[in-house]
Amino acid sequence: MLYKMKNFIIILTIKILNIILKIFHKHGGNILGKIAFKLNPKIFQYFKVNCPVIAVSATNGKTMTNNCIVYTLKKSGHKVVSNIEGNNMETGILSTILKNCTLTGKIKADYLVFEVDESYVPVVFKDFRLDTLIILNFFRDQLDRNGEVESLILRIQNFLKTYTGNLILNHDDPNVARLAKANPNNKNIFYFSVEKYQFATEKLKEAGEGKFCPFCKTKLEYEYYQYSHIGNFKCPNCNFGDNPIYKLATNIDLKSKTFDVDNITYTIKGNSIYLIYNYTATLCVCSLYNISTDIIKESFSTFSLNNGRLEELEIKGIQTIINLAKNPTGSNVSLRILNEDDSQKELLFVLNDNIADGFDVSWIWDINFNNLNNVSRIITSGKRAYDIAIRIKTSGFDAKKIEAYLDLSEAVKHLYETDVKKYIIANYTSLEPTRHELKLLQKEDNIK
Amino acid sequence: MKEIKILHLYPDMLELYGDYGNVQVLKYRIESRGFKACIDEYSIGDTPPNFNDYDIVFAGGGADNEQGILAEDLIQYKDDIKQAIQNGVFFLLICGAYQLFGQYYKDVNKNIIPGLEIFEYYTEAISDRQKRCIGNIVLECDLGDIKTKIIGFENHGGQTFNISKPFGRVLFGNGNKFGDTEEGFCDKNVIATYLHGPLLSKNPVLSDYIIKYCFDRKYDEDIVLEPLNDDFENLCREQLLERFSNKT
Repeated sequence: MLYKMKNFIIILTIKILNIILKIFHKHGGNILGKIAFKLNPKIFQYFKVNCPVIAVSATNGKTMTNNCIVYTLKKSGHKVVSNIEGNNMETGILSTILKNCTLTGKIKADYLVFEVDESYVPVVFKDFRLDTLIILNFFRDQLDRNGEVESLILRIQNFLKTYTGNLILNHDDPNVARLAKANPNNKNIFYFSVEKYQFATEKLKEAGEGKFCPFCKTKLEYEYYQYSHIGNFKCPNCNFGDNPIYKLATNIDLKSKTFDVDNITYTIKGNSIYLIYNYTATLCVCSLYNISTDIIKESFSTFSLNNGRLEELEIKGIQTIINLAKNPTGSNVSLRILNEDDSQKELLFVLNDNIADGFDVSWIWDINFNNLNNVSRIITSGKRAYDIAIRIKTSGFDAKKIEAYLDLSEAVKHLYETDVKKYIIANYTSLEPTRHELKLLQKEDNIK
Repeated sequence: MKEIKILHLYPDMLELYGDYGNVQVLKYRIESRGFKACIDEYSIGDTPPNFNDYDIVFAGGGADNEQGILAEDLIQYKDDIKQAIQNGVFFLLICGAYQLFGQYYKDVNKNIIPGLEIFEYYTEAISDRQKRCIGNIVLECDLGDIKTKIIGFENHGGQTFNISKPFGRVLFGNGNKFGDTEEGFCDKNVIATYLHGPLLSKNPVLSDYIIKYCFDRKYDEDIVLEPLNDDFENLCREQLLERFSNKT
């Protein structure tokens, strides 16, 4: 009783705080959750959830996949509670729950959908209901902050040992596919996969993980790589990598932005192979929860994030594509999109090394800048503008065509001196400042 | 055409912190001067390399898991490697490779991974898994008669002891151990260090020191390398040295 009272008071306090924050037009972010978690680290146990809880975790693609699931479920008329702003640590998820629960901890929704940071899956769901977990991929990411990928995988594997809910796994990432064996008693494993696409390669083109079989240490054999280490692999020794696929995307056509699953063609916005993986994962969820195909089709054809994730803008009448890239794979897929586009273009790469980015920028050497297709000039900016300029120069791109500006607004100004199509890659803390500079330029243009 | 031959050890396994960039920088700086850079790779399962055939042998840092697997493979070449070092082949060893060339590496669980025992130093992981030497680092190094500042990034849990001759004095950062005054190990034709970044990307003086050493040894000359346009490198150094010196 005392325990219940305590949580009641915590929630009441948070609700009042939330109202105060709203009065001052503040969003709050993780703060509410942070306070509640501090007051009671076991508060997750208190909530009463009577609807399915779905979680998405990965190195790359969490926000997009999470928001696409939410968008589709809402389109089919459901009430969904989700952390769509991307606050994906335990405090962020707690904030979302607290804002949407009653004082007695009841959450009224048809679905709860969360994107969860890879490290926090065990923290959140140790004490909270979880029905379906989707894992998209594991890539090296901010090694100075997160440590090696392997330790991250082991933490999730450990959590999965006792998990018996739906587990939706990317069959084309060995480090994800291996998680199916974490709990041999869990029969609810659903693999998704994507058929070879036009620009898949026979050899690894970009930095990747998982070269050895996690079970018998034999070198894995790949029929092809889609991007990074994502592809069709198999262990020649123990057959790891040979499983029935629940949803397989076929006929990948990035030009017309379509793909098929179960003989149904889906049209999407965006033209990258990694998006196909995110959509196929979303399809697995939709299928498990019986969402109608018509609604999914409609949802996929209209869904877009517009927050610097493959965002398309027109600035001074010049076509501009901006994409967030926090790690080598994020950058490499962005460059894939650039290289798959034959038109002439210029690239702006903005690189910061703030706390949230990780202080270590050596990961830029894992980006494949070789043989850029029709790039006439590259501008670099951010706190590490010179580092990335050196990186690009060393890859063989003519140094005379590289300009480095520490000052972002100067960089953006110089970028739009020509009317060639622009691609912009920005890392975590540089994304919003870059978008801000672009918006300023857009406004200037409108006033004229 | 004059040529520098580089052997890159375990490029598919020791490849975690972009150290591969060191080979790219060497290649770039050799080729930009009209010379030839030949890069061979060796990994588990490949034909055994003849270490004496090369001018530079390079190995980088990797994940713990991979490092254990390759330590067993590398040990079969112990005598060949020793001989190559004696013959003057230049060895550039980063992080995990630096550790592997010592006596041993004692991991968090007190397991001992034997090293090549080529050098006297040894490495012990700190018992607290969470504690690592992580961050930007600046050294002062003597490269022959040249005194230069070396900029890099360190990320290691291992603490290395019994260094007879360090690579540099620490101006900013940790070094061989937490709060150390010394970093790495060096000998006439060996540089072993924890510095990522990659090491050579921001330190053109060091790159050219290695390249000159190789030409002089191979062609018995005293080469004066043609200067390159290092504007980005110099601006980068200037900016970072100022940033880091403001922190101390």
